[in-house]
Amino acid sequence: MSATRRRFLHASTVAGTGLLLGFSLPELRADDSAVFEPDAYIRIAPDNTITLWVIRSEMGQGVRTNLPAALADELEVDIEKVRVEQAMPGGRFAGIRLRTSGSGSSSGTFMHLREAGATAREMLIAAGAASWSVEAATCKAQLGAVIHMPTNRQRSYGSLASSAARLPVPPRPRLKSPSEFRYIGKPALRQDRAAIVSGKSQYGLDIQRPGMVHAVVARCPYLGGKASHFETASPLAVPGVRSLVPVNTGIATGVAVVADTTWAAMKGRDALRVEWDAGPNRTFNSDDYIRQLYLAADQKGYPIRNDGDAAQALTQSPRRIDAVYRYSFQAHAPMEVMNCTADYHDGECEIWAPTQTPETAAREVADLLKISPEKVRVHVTLLGGGFGRRLFSDFVHEAAEISKAIGKPVQVTWPRSDDLRYGYFQPASVEHLAGAVDSDGKALAYWQKSISSDLSMFGRNNPPEDPNHYANDGSPWGSCDNPYNFPHLKADYIPIDCPVPTGPWRAVEYPATVFARESFVDEMALLGGKDPIQFRIDLLQPGNTTSFGGDPLDRSRMIRVLEVAREKTGWGTPLPGMAGRKVGRGLAINVYHGDSYIAEVAEVSLAPDGSDFWVHKIHCVVDCGLVINPTGLEGQVESGITWGLSAALRGRIDFKDGAAVQTGFHDFHVLRMNEMPAIETHVVPTDFPPGGFGEHPVPPVAPAVANAIFAATGKRLRNLPFTWV
Amino acid sequence: MASFLLTINGRRERVEAERGTPLLWVLRDHLQLTGTKYGCGVGACGACTVHENGAAVRSCQIPVDNAAGKNYTTIEGLSADASHPCQQAWIAEDVAQCGFCQPGMIMETAALLREKPKVSLEEIESTMSQHVCRCGTYNRMRRAILRAAHEGSRS
Repeated sequence: MSATRRRFLHASTVAGTGLLLGFSLPELRADDSAVFEPDAYIRIAPDNTITLWVIRSEMGQGVRTNLPAALADELEVDIEKVRVEQAMPGGRFAGIRLRTSGSGSSSGTFMHLREAGATAREMLIAAGAASWSVEAATCKAQLGAVIHMPTNRQRSYGSLASSAARLPVPPRPRLKSPSEFRYIGKPALRQDRAAIVSGKSQYGLDIQRPGMVHAVVARCPYLGGKASHFETASPLAVPGVRSLVPVNTGIATGVAVVADTTWAAMKGRDALRVEWDAGPNRTFNSDDYIRQLYLAADQKGYPIRNDGDAAQALTQSPRRIDAVYRYSFQAHAPMEVMNCTADYHDGECEIWAPTQTPETAAREVADLLKISPEKVRVHVTLLGGGFGRRLFSDFVHEAAEISKAIGKPVQVTWPRSDDLRYGYFQPASVEHLAGAVDSDGKALAYWQKSISSDLSMFGRNNPPEDPNHYANDGSPWGSCDNPYNFPHLKADYIPIDCPVPTGPWRAVEYPATVFARESFVDEMALLGGKDPIQFRIDLLQPGNTTSFGGDPLDRSRMIRVLEVAREKTGWGTPLPGMAGRKVGRGLAINVYHGDSYIAEVAEVSLAPDGSDFWVHKIHCVVDCGLVINPTGLEGQVESGITWGLSAALRGRIDFKDGAAVQTGFHDFHVLRMNEMPAIETHVVPTDFPPGGFGEHPVPPVAPAVANAIFAATGKRLRNLPFTWV
Repeated sequence: MASFLLTINGRRERVEAERGTPLLWVLRDHLQLTGTKYGCGVGACGACTVHENGAAVRSCQIPVDNAAGKNYTTIEGLSADASHPCQQAWIAEDVAQCGFCQPGMIMETAALLREKPKVSLEEIESTMSQHVCRCGTYNRMRRAILRAAHEGSRS
């Protein structure tokens, strides 16, 4: 491997994925030189197979479709010929980020793959030209072959792979211009489409290993409690049950029932009686906790934003309003319940897990089992949904612990009730808002106080000492990066401890803060007698570029999205009447970390007596930069809106007497087909780099619907989920 | 442990299982037919849907004791090569995201269209609303079902 190549590899940088910096390939051995590996992710073999190692987890967001498109386009190969492999922590991927979070799996790796593909293409052209002793400029690449244009001679990539591998790396390969794209920006079907509709795709629960047994854990029903005593005779009498293993790792400890089949393990768990040490949270009730959040508004919080003097402007203004918004605890409830298969033997552990964070899982399992990290191998399966829940490795730890205890490969399955009752929930929160407009009805001052528990994933028991801790961290999202240019703007954060484990959920902190912000901006527009879209456009003047909490903000992109929303959604025109039902339209916007700009308009109708309401349609207008796969983008819009609407209409987890109340889809209600609104996506074409999109459509849904209900009825809904009737 | 003779995807299968074991777990853990998914275990999500003598049923609600003498089809038996009109419609409409619930959805649809080739939108919605998809692919699914029904009416 040449020094030039190593320098190229060291210099490979990707915006937003700093962990990709500085990786290098192991020295190529003589017997490796038959294949061409211009990059840790790509292999071109003499038999013309192209392998792409995908460094993110596929959980429905389309990473196994979008990344092959980026590579195939620049490399000039048929996308159907690109074989996708899942990267594993360690080895050639040591030090490379494999974590899937923050809606960045396509946007964060896109440019790197394009550069890698273009580099390989130029080296293959050089190798082909050398084989004919002609100038590289007289050759071109086309669908997996190098062609000498004057003579039309051709050589396949595979036949050139080993000679290309010995050539110097071009420092600045030419990237295609958008007009040359073959795949990028074109609708693409997923590569595993036949497998996925045939039940052949392998999720975590589908892993089978020789000699594998199954386990289900009886978990302490009280937050933070543990097992103090359990009897073994009854569960062991259940046919198929093999053993009972205390489980001390993970998020909810207890006793594992190990059996020949999943069903036997479940039956064994039914028969198991455990005495629980309830611990300190035996009396925790979420209603009491949320009351505590309401009452905390006067506590000194952490300053987040302080532009102008909002406190004084509010005190002096005659035209002022105040409002309080509430947001409930939420569960992720992906369709595939938490599960993991672990095989510990001879000081090594092999893991098969539907995880968003394989490198963390590997490191934590190594620590847990007291073995070195290279003794842990983590295979990432397909994920039956992630939504942030699978950024945690609690379900991996316990599988490793149980496998070590029994000396066998084991698959641990969480029954659906476990999946709902134990997790890293979306925190409940209360948002206090105050706003004022001037005598012309223009926005003057805005103050948002966000009160919730900090995400417990940060493991913080005591409030941070640095008063600017949260502001420097860009938190809370949606308040810290409030896109509006208020003359006076204040934002505070008041963390209130909570025993409920909390973590990222789809769009993390945005849904609660944006629900409050976008509802309240409509309240302010009403106070000022302004149209909600015009009020927002005025508030985004002068359309400048700035940054908050480390995120860039281009207000002109948001203004453009609002203008398109006004143009495309029938804004300002009457909605068709529906048999005497009241109808209304509502809008909400958000900017997600400065890379995607979104507006949603909801259309609702209500019975004349207000006894029910129905969301008929949601328009989504988006500028997310270059769109890699339009079909995939629309899919994410539909998915995010369904998720947001599900949470707005139905989603809540309550805690009573120290335990989560909801146990299944019968009491944790999610949206079903008969409640789906029509969804229309309008893309505002721009040539900015691709922004993320997996989470972005979620936050504006609830406030757009609340604003539409207000438009129809004059009734303002400030509590989520919306309680009706 | 008892012995059961089942007919799955046209094959006779001898299974040793405990009485009362739901068909779902017999399919998954005994026969390694993992295309049928566990989603809730109480018949509330539809992920485990298979055909029993051609009709859609929740395999998590059928004790293996009751399965003898009936013909079952799982997603693996719907077609050998993803060529069933429902599978083709699913591909054409790019329905699946995470994909986990989709085998159950496709099996439900296949049974629905066999029973009612001219299915109405209301019938589609009331049947499919017994299923859960957390990725929110419902609108594409509705289109795929209408496409499959349309293709079926032409053939």
